Amino acid sequence: MNKKRLAPTAAAVLCSGMALAWIALTGLLLEGPARADTAGIFDSEPFSITDGRQIYEHICRGCHMENAGGAVGAGRFPALTKNPALGSRQYMALTILMGRRNMPAFGTKYAVGFGGPPVILNEAQIAAVINYVRTNFGNRYTDPITAAEVGTLDRSTH
Amino acid sequence: MTEESGTALSRRRLLTMIGVSAGATAMYQAMHSLGFAAESKFQGPIRLSSAPKGASVLVLGAGIAGLVAAYELRNAGYKVQVLEYNARAGGRNWTLRGGDRYTELGGETQECRFDPDLYINPGPWRLPYHHRGMLSYCKRLGVALEPFVQINHNAYLHSRKAFGGKPQRLRAVQADYDGHVAELLAKATRNHALDADVTAEDQAILLSSLRSSGALDSNYRFVKGPDSSERRGFERDPGGGLSARPVFSEPIALSDLLRSGLWAALSVGELYDMQTTMFQPVGGMGQVGQAFARELAPLIRYNAKVVDIRQDQRGVSATFEDLRAGSSRQTVSADWCVCTIPLSILGQIPMNVGAPMARAIAAVPYCTGLKVGLQFKRRFWEEDEQIYGGITYTDLPIGQISYPSSRFFSDGKGVLLGAYIWDMRNSMDFTSMTPAERVSKAVEYGSQIHPQYSKEFDNGIAVAWHRVPSAMGCFGLWSDAARAEHYDNLCGFDGRIVLAGEHASFMPAWQEGAVTSALDAIDRLHQRAHAAGAAA
Repeated sequence: MNKKRLAPTAAAVLCSGMALAWIALTGLLLEGPARADTAGIFDSEPFSITDGRQIYEHICRGCHMENAGGAVGAGRFPALTKNPALGSRQYMALTILMGRRNMPAFGTKYAVGFGGPPVILNEAQIAAVINYVRTNFGNRYTDPITAAEVGTLDRSTH
Repeated sequence: MTEESGTALSRRRLLTMIGVSAGATAMYQAMHSLGFAAESKFQGPIRLSSAPKGASVLVLGAGIAGLVAAYELRNAGYKVQVLEYNARAGGRNWTLRGGDRYTELGGETQECRFDPDLYINPGPWRLPYHHRGMLSYCKRLGVALEPFVQINHNAYLHSRKAFGGKPQRLRAVQADYDGHVAELLAKATRNHALDADVTAEDQAILLSSLRSSGALDSNYRFVKGPDSSERRGFERDPGGGLSARPVFSEPIALSDLLRSGLWAALSVGELYDMQTTMFQPVGGMGQVGQAFARELAPLIRYNAKVVDIRQDQRGVSATFEDLRAGSSRQTVSADWCVCTIPLSILGQIPMNVGAPMARAIAAVPYCTGLKVGLQFKRRFWEEDEQIYGGITYTDLPIGQISYPSSRFFSDGKGVLLGAYIWDMRNSMDFTSMTPAERVSKAVEYGSQIHPQYSKEFDNGIAVAWHRVPSAMGCFGLWSDAARAEHYDNLCGFDGRIVLAGEHASFMPAWQEGAVTSALDAIDRLHQRAHAAGAAA
């Protein structure tokens, strides 16, 4: 785990009440030089799944729901079906990279962790889940995004 | 104007002035230098002078921040109306008990099937002794408190990767870590490795202190024997009569201990927020919200979903859908508005505030925390393992298991907090499951620590905060960068609207953040109301 990525994690924890403990501790573990040998008890695994459907099912489904229909409560989680925003694969990529309101960011530059490292999706993972969503749930887009394009978009943000 | 008396209030006034003139960050720095910052800035009950005649306030949200604001403003003579989305007060201050039904986003309804008097707190569950605001309101509202056991030396630390997955008693890990480190330091001292740093006279004292702190023997060794067993526990406890003789226990070898990673959990209970004494309301954290609700009953409009917030020169109006009346729309108005709606939701509600506040509202993602409550047929953790309250920490996705801090030794069923997950990887994964799957996974993982699970499990309930319709997230996840850029803009007045809640505090997720942000907001509101009254 590189230190650059950890910085916001530690920062977020610095003043976080619920889990202050955790973070202080995990910080030590994650930044320790002998991490491979001493992998500590609060260290969650990096997110390594590469299949678009599985990424959706482990991360996105929590809010956007099984059928991608979103949900309405005091506010709403947008549906990822019949949603004109999906027309722009770049918009989707930037939303995933940078987050949006209560949706966390998943790009290395923006993700904030809590109680451990943030969930980071690499360019290929982001492309995979975008292409999955845009070709399922009744979506029929024919212009897939590539990992390289996600990378270009990522570098355009600051 | 606020009445001032005594040093504490004067200091608070001074800090407030710094906050008004130079922003919250400057105020926080000032608090730091005055020794306030690390603890709640609560300085005793707020004392607002009388409200300007006829002045009114609209409070949006009946969570802790909204309830505190409504309670104090009403007491000062303001005409107060509260709009609340849920059918109950408290917001994330919430207790689930037998007979409760809870429908999460996506439509799944769970019925809590716990026995009478058993419960879980899906949200906040413990009160540090220095969260004086929360403790003060509990006392004023008649909410009985009892100890919350945070540190239990007989609970476990567990890693799948260490000791063959066998959980270790915190007591032993603590004693062995302290003992080995003390022995190493004593060795270094006696080998003159510290001569450059510690005088000869102090070295003698240091050695004595290491013997004391690390339970070393007379040769400064941490070894199996009476000294170490008095800390880590015995292989066989001393007793009386012919079977009286104790059998000492064998400490864990230093290398095994270091490689286990279990030491990482030792300092949790040392943190300021987790130190003894902690408290919990008798009967569940939700007692606090309920007590406020009794006080404010006629003022709170439940089942009211706010869909639009407008302000102009004269006042603020909020339009809401009455969820019990076919979502018919109504609008209410007041001179001022204290808005405590979580940013996860507020960011989606049209509201005519300036760009700085609007950008701040949009800048804070929410933690994906989640809890699972599990009822078992008997309190096996007490009966079989002598664990009375406290927390077992594990590297399993469930994160921790917490044992109830009340009703010790009672017969019948018991409820554990079977998962409290806030690392993002696992909490997102669990949020993506159905409630039944979350419960099932919590049982599956927990049985690796307590094999009794499979035989004794009765039923469970799972609350994933991103799926809670009234919150849509656990708490504001501020990054340092976002806080530097947006925090002051979030907390400052925009026209006649001021925000409050844990998201408008330096104590994320803690109810004390909601209390202190509400008091800070209404203090400033009160000043403005009087200034406006004087100008009119």
